[in-house]
Amino acid sequence: MKGVARGVLAGLVLAVLIVAVGAWLLIGERAPQESTPTSTPTEGSSRVVLLGSGSTFVHPQLDYWAKEFAKRHPNVRIDYNPTGSGTGQTQFMQKVVDFAGSDPPLPTKRWEEALRDPRGVIQMPVVVGAVVMVYNIPGLEGRLKLDGETIALIYLGEIEYWNDERIQRLNPDIKLPNERIIAVHRSDSSGTTHVFTLFLYKASNGKWPRELVEKAIEWPVDKTGRGLGGKGNQGVADLVQRTPYSIGYVEYAYAFLTKLPFALVRNAAGKFVEATSETIAEAAKNAYPKLPPSLEDDFNEAWDAIVYAPGEDSYPITSFVFLIFYKTYPKDKAEAIKKFIEFINTEGLKLIVPGYIPIPEEIAKYNLRALELIREG
Amino acid sequence: MTSRRPLHDIIFFYSLALPAFLIVVILSLLLLSQLGMSIPILRVQGLSTYTTTTWRPMYDPPPDRAWYGLLPAIWGTMVSAVIAILLGLTFTIALVVFMEEIAPRRVREVFSTIIDLMAGLPTVLYGVWGLAFLGPLLHKYVMSPLHSHLSIVPLFSCEPLSGATVFTAGVLLSIMITPFMVALVQESYRSIPYTLKEAAWSLGMTRYEYVLLNMRMIAPSIASAILLGFGRASSETAAVTLVVGNAVNIGFCIFAPAYTISSLIANQFTESQDFPYMLNALFAGGLILLIIGLIVNTIGVLMLRRVRF
Repeated sequence: MKGVARGVLAGLVLAVLIVAVGAWLLIGERAPQESTPTSTPTEGSSRVVLLGSGSTFVHPQLDYWAKEFAKRHPNVRIDYNPTGSGTGQTQFMQKVVDFAGSDPPLPTKRWEEALRDPRGVIQMPVVVGAVVMVYNIPGLEGRLKLDGETIALIYLGEIEYWNDERIQRLNPDIKLPNERIIAVHRSDSSGTTHVFTLFLYKASNGKWPRELVEKAIEWPVDKTGRGLGGKGNQGVADLVQRTPYSIGYVEYAYAFLTKLPFALVRNAAGKFVEATSETIAEAAKNAYPKLPPSLEDDFNEAWDAIVYAPGEDSYPITSFVFLIFYKTYPKDKAEAIKKFIEFINTEGLKLIVPGYIPIPEEIAKYNLRALELIREG
Repeated sequence: MTSRRPLHDIIFFYSLALPAFLIVVILSLLLLSQLGMSIPILRVQGLSTYTTTTWRPMYDPPPDRAWYGLLPAIWGTMVSAVIAILLGLTFTIALVVFMEEIAPRRVREVFSTIIDLMAGLPTVLYGVWGLAFLGPLLHKYVMSPLHSHLSIVPLFSCEPLSGATVFTAGVLLSIMITPFMVALVQESYRSIPYTLKEAAWSLGMTRYEYVLLNMRMIAPSIASAILLGFGRASSETAAVTLVVGNAVNIGFCIFAPAYTISSLIANQFTESQDFPYMLNALFAGGLILLIIGLIVNTIGVLMLRRVRF
């Protein structure tokens, strides 16, 4: 009996080894694999499916547009998968989707690569987003005011207490508690973090280093034990809600839902501004002149310009959310994409989910130039 | 082999051997892919991937300034698992002795059912409960008092600022692994032959001495419960991610937010391919978790076999 068991065992080990070596070779063979574009499902001209993926932030709005669009064009279905801006961009580059949604535009390097590709690339801002500073200070009367520098110092771990004179100075009429500040941030990689850190870099008089502008960063405040990470906007909002004396940054739409108080933030003109649909739209209007001449251009400068935008009444932590398209599509898809772009930049401006801010008219007009750019092929 | 086996017997043998064999293949493939995906980061950063404390993702600025050190996550995993084991063992021994020696049969059955139920609950449920109730509760009634009275002890030296700490994660994990540990220890306890127990009573042992003796007899199974419980605690993801605080932070104080390997992976996996080498670093974290798990579980299972009467 023992002999048989040993034989079986030896056989197993040998087999595992063989499979392992085989697999090893196989994995080794397949270096960075070129992904194949999704073949257009052969559905005839009657039914077109447009596949999108990317930004989770734009998802509720895009879903709503898709639903309304389907009412008007029953033969087109739009499937949008909220995978995150980064994944959306990657899938766009791999051509496994028809369009992508992204909080930041394509990074210059990726944009150059996409431009060289025969399918080309078109980007457009479709919604305006804003990041608000939510806080939980029990018993606080009045509205907290902050500027880029104090927020940066909080997240750098340098300001430790709420009644630090650098915060107190901005809030002369409020009595701030002598409690430690807990800085809540995103624990996952996120476009919201990118916008937030870009704002800190631009608005903190050099306190926030350039290398900490990213979708995911090494949070200096974590090292002090006063940093907390939450997954997604919801995770951050939850933590702030449950943690007394904490502060966090979330998309405007979420603050809207959770009803947490959020701070007035000092803008580039030196005024403390509350995030409202008007002040956010104002920032977008003031960033309009910075949009590149063509939709085929690099949008990074424009995106940079809307964060901490000029203007008396602009809310400073504002950003565009982009949709990224190809320039050429197969015949039936080109038709559908054009119709969809036309829809979101005309009727769509009025079909907005509460908490989201539509782009200003002039930007919608600018976006409609895409209709002449998109070709069949 | 003198006699030939009938055909149906051979077919039966292979039909069972194949699926069993497949599991072994899957495990080795898993190990292999973990290793394969980890190699790029190990090539760039070497073993210091496991010994450095900086987790600095970078994409747009020069990626060569990026660094992925897993030590804080490994440390957080260990600390939370050790807390879970210490508390879990206390619960386990108390429960087993209570159920086997003190409680009347009815009560024991109720306890058994509850413990079985606890083992089957989805882990994310524990996480949400931990975030909403356990964390704030521990913060107010356990961590804050411990800190204000015993802050000389390094473990309690930092002020707990919220319920999301590595301590909360440990306590939550202890609750989650207790049913599992109870099952292991209780089974061994029951397998102690009645003759031995009677002998103990007949010698006039007190209840304390008697329980102690029984515990000594099943010591290997307690050790294996510790090891297997450790394996579970160190790999739990959904619940821990919600309560551990998700901050890259390392230190001896258990009232600070931290990270565990599995929560690091859960948080950062989705977009990791955007950052050069981050995905590989996460796989390297998975690899160490797998290795720890394999070692601990193997020893645990071997120990369990040593309980024989």
